Amino acid sequence: MIILKIAFRNIFRQKRRTVFTSITILIGFSLAAFSIGWADGSYNNIINMFTRNWLGHIQIHYDDYLDNPSLYKTIENYKQIGKKLENIKGVEVWTPRVFSGGLASAGNKSSGVQIIGIEPNMENNTTKFSKKIIKGNFFSSNGSKEILLGKGAAKALNIKLSDQVVLISQAADGSIANDLFKFVGIVNTDNDLYDRSSLYLTLKDAQEFLVLEGKIHEIAIVTKKLNNVRNIAKIISKEITNKDLDVAPWQIFAKSFYRAMKADKGGMWISLFVITLVVAVGVLNTVLMSVLERTREFGVLKAIGTRPKQIIKLILYEINIITLISIVFGSIIALLANYYLSIHGIHLSQSFTYGGMKFSEMLTEINARSFYIPAITVFFTASFVGIFPAIKAAKTNPVKSLRFH
Amino acid sequence: MNQNEFVIITDSLKKNYKENGIEVKAVRGVNLKIKKREFSAIVGPSGSGKTTLLNLISGLDIPDDGKIWLNNKLLSEMSGKELSDFRRDHIGFIFQAYNLIPVLTVKENIEYIMLLQGVEKKERHKKVLNILREVGLEGMETRVPTKLSGGQQQRVAIARAMVSNPSLILADEPTANLDSKTSGELLNMMRRLNETTGMTFLFSTHDKMIMEKARRVITLKDGLIEKDEIKD
Repeated sequence: MIILKIAFRNIFRQKRRTVFTSITILIGFSLAAFSIGWADGSYNNIINMFTRNWLGHIQIHYDDYLDNPSLYKTIENYKQIGKKLENIKGVEVWTPRVFSGGLASAGNKSSGVQIIGIEPNMENNTTKFSKKIIKGNFFSSNGSKEILLGKGAAKALNIKLSDQVVLISQAADGSIANDLFKFVGIVNTDNDLYDRSSLYLTLKDAQEFLVLEGKIHEIAIVTKKLNNVRNIAKIISKEITNKDLDVAPWQIFAKSFYRAMKADKGGMWISLFVITLVVAVGVLNTVLMSVLERTREFGVLKAIGTRPKQIIKLILYEINIITLISIVFGSIIALLANYYLSIHGIHLSQSFTYGGMKFSEMLTEINARSFYIPAITVFFTASFVGIFPAIKAAKTNPVKSLRFH
Repeated sequence: MNQNEFVIITDSLKKNYKENGIEVKAVRGVNLKIKKREFSAIVGPSGSGKTTLLNLISGLDIPDDGKIWLNNKLLSEMSGKELSDFRRDHIGFIFQAYNLIPVLTVKENIEYIMLLQGVEKKERHKKVLNILREVGLEGMETRVPTKLSGGQQQRVAIARAMVSNPSLILADEPTANLDSKTSGELLNMMRRLNETTGMTFLFSTHDKMIMEKARRVITLKDGLIEKDEIKD
């Protein structure tokens, strides 16, 4: 206890040195906390935009539909599954979808299209679909015989609102599906690749057109929290009991995007390492100076019976107290910075495209790990580099340091 | 001769060290016996080996040859940790520059060694009050060393050295930084404490006043005992 008392008072005795050490640790901690909050916020923002925009966080398909899509690989009892999903904690919303390839013609223009059948209200709840209409309108209340086209697809067909579109495809009963639809709106999902070929029908029209009564190809699910997706996918898998159905989190069905995100996140650890190094050098420098200036004091302590281990403790206590104080103040600074930027974000002068999506603003995130990772890293780094000066202090030769004469 | 009556016994003690690349024979075979309750002084000119001898006796330095027994314990047989504990429990140090712990108050400085020893709070408090009365610093418990005069700081150092009742007090030039009046007062006080507590005092000094007050004066010259005078 007396060692702790001496340590505590020593940090106020050498005020300038303490302030300098604290500032080094505080800056290191705040930067680390901010960069983790920034990285997490940015990546979660990208992931959320990417998944909430269309894909969803979890998808359900029949068996290997994702790898080998087929008109016949359908989910039959999707409404029952939907009821189960609504009772699972963590599931926010879900929506059913139907997919097929087809040929769309308007006037003298034709284009290959990806036919997508969506349930208007549910899709809107899940992906805020109506907000993506940049021209014209979303489906009308019954939406019958209406189509929406992706920005690129509309351009390819050189089509005007209210024009008629002839759609041809293969139906599930083997017949040629063909019908006439009214073009009501242009969709911009910010994914150019997708918008180049997408053609949207209401789910009811798509099922009728493709002869898929009561059947769908995909259920897209949005969860309340991004960090619990894998667990929720496992729970869903257990709940629906149908072994023919495949429940996949976004990390599986958007593998390449997930890998790219993971690789990018590696950069965060590199910056954390650099920050740690700066803190280590700063702490080592000031603590070593402090020890060298106090050799006489350590000599006296040793002479009157203080064990070397107790001197090591004294130095480490001093470092730990300074580190803890710095972490508290650093947390406040990082919290304020992360809070401000989580609301206002940083507007990019030039937007960038990631996974086909355009981003013009980056937001930070306030989470526990952006505080405990830097806190643990900084605390152990400071303690670790403090061991060397502490051992040096413990090895002080009282005869030399006291110089009896 | 009963070995138990001695606090310090040295046998053919030798110590060389290098200063600016030149080997200095600081102690060249010192045989010394200090009895319990003695009030002795090691005197001699600068470079005679006084401080080196004191360092060797306290276990702060290791002899090149020879042996040291403190309270019948051979120092060379002790580990570093045992030596630390032995110094803490059996030797009190008084330094020329006082060397108090600057961040601790008078009371905390005095009880520091007892805290390392694990003495209970109640007993610590009692002992601190007693020794403060003995050294004439009552009411100054909460002051820090920087707020004390040199004489007062040395009184605290004496109190710190004596509070845990060690068998030996080693004092290196304890009056060198003090005026003669304060030195006289402190020496009288130490001599009184030597008589009342029975602790052994061994000084290393140039101070004539200490030489006068000491009951035994050991004169060192070139690392050897030149004269060993016991007064009546």
